[in-house]
Amino acid sequence: MDQESVKKSIAQILEEKFRPNNISFTLDDDGLICFEGSMQTWQAMVDFCHAVAKLPNIKHVVSHIKTPEKIYKEPVDKTPYLKLGIIDEVDVLIIGGGVIGCGVARELSKYDINILLVEKASDISEGTTKCNNGMIHSGYDTKPNSLKAKYGVKGNAMYSKWAEELGFHFNRTGSFVCGFNQEDADIIQGLYENGMKNQVPGIEIISGERAREIEPNINDKVIVALWTPTAGYVEPYEVALALAENAIENGTKILLNTEVFDVLQENGKVTGVLTNRGIIKTKVIINSAGLYADEIARMAKDEFYTIHPRRGTLGILDKENKGKLHTFVGKAPSNYTKGGGPQETPEGTLLIGPSAKEVADKEDLGVDRDDLGFILDKTMELTKNISPDSLITFFSGNRAATFEEDFIIEPSKKLKGFIHVAGIQSPGLASAPAISEEVMNLTIAELGHEVAEKVNYNANHVFTKPFRDCSNEEREQLIAQNPAYGKVICRCETVTEAEIINAIHGVIPATTMDAVKRRTRAGMGRCQSGFCGAKVLDLLSKELKINPAEVTLKGPNSEILTEQTRNFQRGDSL
Amino acid sequence: MREIELVIIGGGPAGLAAAVKAYELGLRDILIIERDIELGGILQQCIHDGFGLHRFGKQLSGSSYAQKFIDKVEEYNIPVYCNTMVIELTEDKKITAVSPQEGLLHIQAKSIILAMGCRERTRSQVRILGTRPAGVMTAGAVQRYINIEGWKTGNRAVILGSGDIGLIMARRMTLEGIFVEGVYEVMPNLGGLRRNKAQCLDDYNIPLHLATTVVSVHGKQRVDGVTVAKVGPDRMPIEGTERYIPCDLLVLSVGLIPENELSRNAGLELHPITKGPIVDTTMMSSVDGIFVAGNVGAVFDLVDYVSLTGEVAAQGALSYLRGQRTHSNSIEVIAGDNVSFIFPQNFYATKDHKDNEKATLYMRVKKTMKKVRLEVTCNGQIIATKKERFATPPEMLSIDIPVDKILDGQLKINVLE
Repeated sequence: MDQESVKKSIAQILEEKFRPNNISFTLDDDGLICFEGSMQTWQAMVDFCHAVAKLPNIKHVVSHIKTPEKIYKEPVDKTPYLKLGIIDEVDVLIIGGGVIGCGVARELSKYDINILLVEKASDISEGTTKCNNGMIHSGYDTKPNSLKAKYGVKGNAMYSKWAEELGFHFNRTGSFVCGFNQEDADIIQGLYENGMKNQVPGIEIISGERAREIEPNINDKVIVALWTPTAGYVEPYEVALALAENAIENGTKILLNTEVFDVLQENGKVTGVLTNRGIIKTKVIINSAGLYADEIARMAKDEFYTIHPRRGTLGILDKENKGKLHTFVGKAPSNYTKGGGPQETPEGTLLIGPSAKEVADKEDLGVDRDDLGFILDKTMELTKNISPDSLITFFSGNRAATFEEDFIIEPSKKLKGFIHVAGIQSPGLASAPAISEEVMNLTIAELGHEVAEKVNYNANHVFTKPFRDCSNEEREQLIAQNPAYGKVICRCETVTEAEIINAIHGVIPATTMDAVKRRTRAGMGRCQSGFCGAKVLDLLSKELKINPAEVTLKGPNSEILTEQTRNFQRGDSL
Repeated sequence: MREIELVIIGGGPAGLAAAVKAYELGLRDILIIERDIELGGILQQCIHDGFGLHRFGKQLSGSSYAQKFIDKVEEYNIPVYCNTMVIELTEDKKITAVSPQEGLLHIQAKSIILAMGCRERTRSQVRILGTRPAGVMTAGAVQRYINIEGWKTGNRAVILGSGDIGLIMARRMTLEGIFVEGVYEVMPNLGGLRRNKAQCLDDYNIPLHLATTVVSVHGKQRVDGVTVAKVGPDRMPIEGTERYIPCDLLVLSVGLIPENELSRNAGLELHPITKGPIVDTTMMSSVDGIFVAGNVGAVFDLVDYVSLTGEVAAQGALSYLRGQRTHSNSIEVIAGDNVSFIFPQNFYATKDHKDNEKATLYMRVKKTMKKVRLEVTCNGQIIATKKERFATPPEMLSIDIPVDKILDGQLKINVLE
């Protein structure tokens, strides 16, 4: 590695665009560059690191550059947690209960090993997964030979089998990239060639008319489109839930509300992790911590990437729009992630977005005027017969992006038994089956000994059919068996009391309002829990045998009620 | 499949009034379907007074008002299914409903009165930005927690929306020991009744900030504050006027939307402004034999009007059932000067109207005016007039018109300053 030429290139980037600055760096022989110092804005830091990551011979970029927007956390005092001692001993410990962690857990549960997944939130899918638009990308836009291209196209093809085994909704609808003018047509031509290199099945460039034959509500101004029939849609939290439940059914343990504070090692080998519950001994650690993967890597003393959150805002339109769109309708890209357009989820709700914005705080899930304007304007530009007034909710999630903008899926070179599964952003959901399989193989290799497959492994997972999807005969039977099926709690989405109680006592118990919502759709509809909120809260309190004031929206400190003023006795109320 | 002459969907004030009236007109085969555990609808959580001034000549609480009708329903032994939710309604009046006691119900109704009421608009519908923590609730939800469940949902509240529910809740929360920092209203004028402002805000020194809105919500798990800003004539926030207010509760009273999912299901034609079915002066919708009562048709500000429309719908349903709806002429009533909408939208003209029979038309005006004259014209001739000292968009106006004379021609309402 030529230190001097890299130094020159960096000095040039800084000189051209990022003045003033106060930055120093170290560069190692593997092409890892690590920055210290400060810059004026978070966006400038991100732009700078992106530029450096593109330099020849630079393989990885770590940024410790401080900016005024970012609030730096105090380190956790580990002493009290160390005192809790060893609470469990497993073969494989997975950090993070997003779709990747759950997918890896499920694949590994085929083997006769002890697996534990730890998640710091009160439910699985609470991070990036729940805010994903659910698109299973066809793979036309990823850089050829990147890991994104490799796992994206492969993962997409594997979804049919996953959906069949795991029982989640999956619609292989196809997707469009729309063009309005010659400039767009050129970009689309480039995407087409790129897609051919990535071996995207069935990819073609079609006219605006032909696009409208497939999707009648594509805007009349669209003159050309890239069509990839293999793109599809899932409900991401449903995929994660199916994976996690299937893993549990095959013997995996999941510990929620469990945060990792340290990675423990001896003689260059993983020995365990320190959590808020105490020490968990393990032979292998899988770092699928999403937005926090870089912090876990730092704990493992193998920090060679930095996660910079890229926020995406999604909006949901009223179900009255059902049937207006079937496919994904996107636009020629203009930034690191193309950002999405409108699409219909498997549940039949029209979903719009996401946008793409660099934010300093990993927990910054706000929506600002630009985010909302962006997704609404884009939807209006690409479609017709859809009214922005039918927007019922909007929210943001953060993508876990590295400056290299590619996945990192590899065993640590410094710490035996530690596997990095980081930087999993778009097309991370599409790639999940392929990534899970790869990490399964890496894990078996890391374990370093023969591992037997489980004799009684069951790849199939069955979701109970929602009441709203049942035929009237099935509904009649359900109510006869359990009258609680006759009690509709959420009127917008037709969710019954029995379904909510089942979710609360499910394989992974739903213990918050949001967890109930993700499993049953109660509160997801047009009134946004205005009517059913109090009833769901009541059911959570009764079924979990907790005080109503202890029921939360999404975990600690999000309690809904503050103080009881009267003790009414009214029918089946609180 | 059970056959029933009149099925009323919804047991709130509109449905109750319709049921009582239908019984009093001689109909016996009636069924009320109510999704909650008891009759009364939203009135059960309205423990404040001010209800029934027109009808009963005195101020009642919402629940007392409802009880007067519930007592009649019980006295007449009108069948009621509570805890029962209609999940499907077809154009040929087939109803599928579900309840824990009855299981799945299949009913062929000969006539139907829709009385499902309305729901509250949510934060997303008024585009409040920021995060999504616990502590953002509609006024109706807070009212339910306080009045029905006996729970406070916060300690320091900001209210957005000066509609009646917002004003009532400002007082209610204050009395419950929740500090109300202020009521914010995006419009340059009050959203609710003037008497409610006097009784609920002024008496408790709660400030009202007009032309000001909540721009965004802050807080990760629980609300820790909101940003408010002044708005311009376009109702968009004016840069530089933002103010951060620490609070743990944001209460929204930002409008009501008629609940018409079933109506849409059954193919009823809806009106773009009222968001409810288009009806004629007998309250019949675009589908023969399906009638509409109360807030499902248009959002009213007084429950008395809601009950009245229920009674008109009952009368309409009865005429329909008895085959008395003869050849009729449906005439559109045109919203003229200063009128934003009229309900019912169409006039049911027939030779069979009795002498001196009258129909009531409800309307909202576009702007605040003093000393106005309501004027209904038929083919340019004035057929009814009424004077009002004050007219403002939040307060619905009504006028009675003689129906026996009108058979065809253009009907129009103007509100003149």
